[in-house]
Amino acid sequence: MAPLTLTLWIANVTFDSVGQLAFKAAAGDPHAGDGLARWRHMAARPWLWLGIGCYVVEFLVWIAFLSLVPLSEGVLLGSINIVAIMLAGRLLFGEKLTRLRVLGIGLVSLGVAIVGAGG
Amino acid sequence: MRRFYLFGFLLLMSFDTLAQLSFKLAGSHALPVAANLGWLLRVFGQPWIYGALVGYLGAFFTWMSLLKHAPIGPAFAASHLEVVSVMLLSVWLLHEPLTTPRVLGAVAIVAGIVCLGAAERDAPEAVPDIAG
Repeated sequence: MAPLTLTLWIANVTFDSVGQLAFKAAAGDPHAGDGLARWRHMAARPWLWLGIGCYVVEFLVWIAFLSLVPLSEGVLLGSINIVAIMLAGRLLFGEKLTRLRVLGIGLVSLGVAIVGAGG
Repeated sequence: MRRFYLFGFLLLMSFDTLAQLSFKLAGSHALPVAANLGWLLRVFGQPWIYGALVGYLGAFFTWMSLLKHAPIGPAFAASHLEVVSVMLLSVWLLHEPLTTPRVLGAVAIVAGIVCLGAAERDAPEAVPDIAG
């Protein structure tokens, strides 16, 4: 991968993970209440906006990334986002990594590595 | 009800596929990549970017409707299986070569997604990934 392509790939997985985790933090707040009050509560705190900001940047980063690699390769390399979010969920929210999840993470990573190494 | 899910997942996959193809075409028409206003104007100055937006919004609302009733495991897996349809359409429409590493990589990734889908089914506390 060329340096710019690699940078965009890393930026994409970073913004995607931070965005998802921010949305999770916004949505999982137990003090948020219900209905309209819940949205007001979320809008008054930074998590929702951090998530939206990350997604806007990710949208542009992903377009730039795909313009530099073949689409068939790009979507496969983008699957690493699934792995990143699972690991981040484990680290930050203590979500369980069952055997089946570890196997899935391993297989997706293996696939991304094969595509990354071989094109 | 099974028909409803099948139709829903196919619709989700179609929206996701439309979005990815449009992203690629929008980006290709905006080359060279640069962190400046000129690049943004090139991206938003042609129709493909709006195809990407339609695909994104369509996928989002389809996903949300499916999640109301569909089990999370299969839904999670289905929401990521567009890698296969996008890869095949890239070969057909964009004349990209279907190389051996891409095929092997896709097989491993799909197998991994199926495992993760099965894992979500067994552990319902999991967070769905709405980004696709």
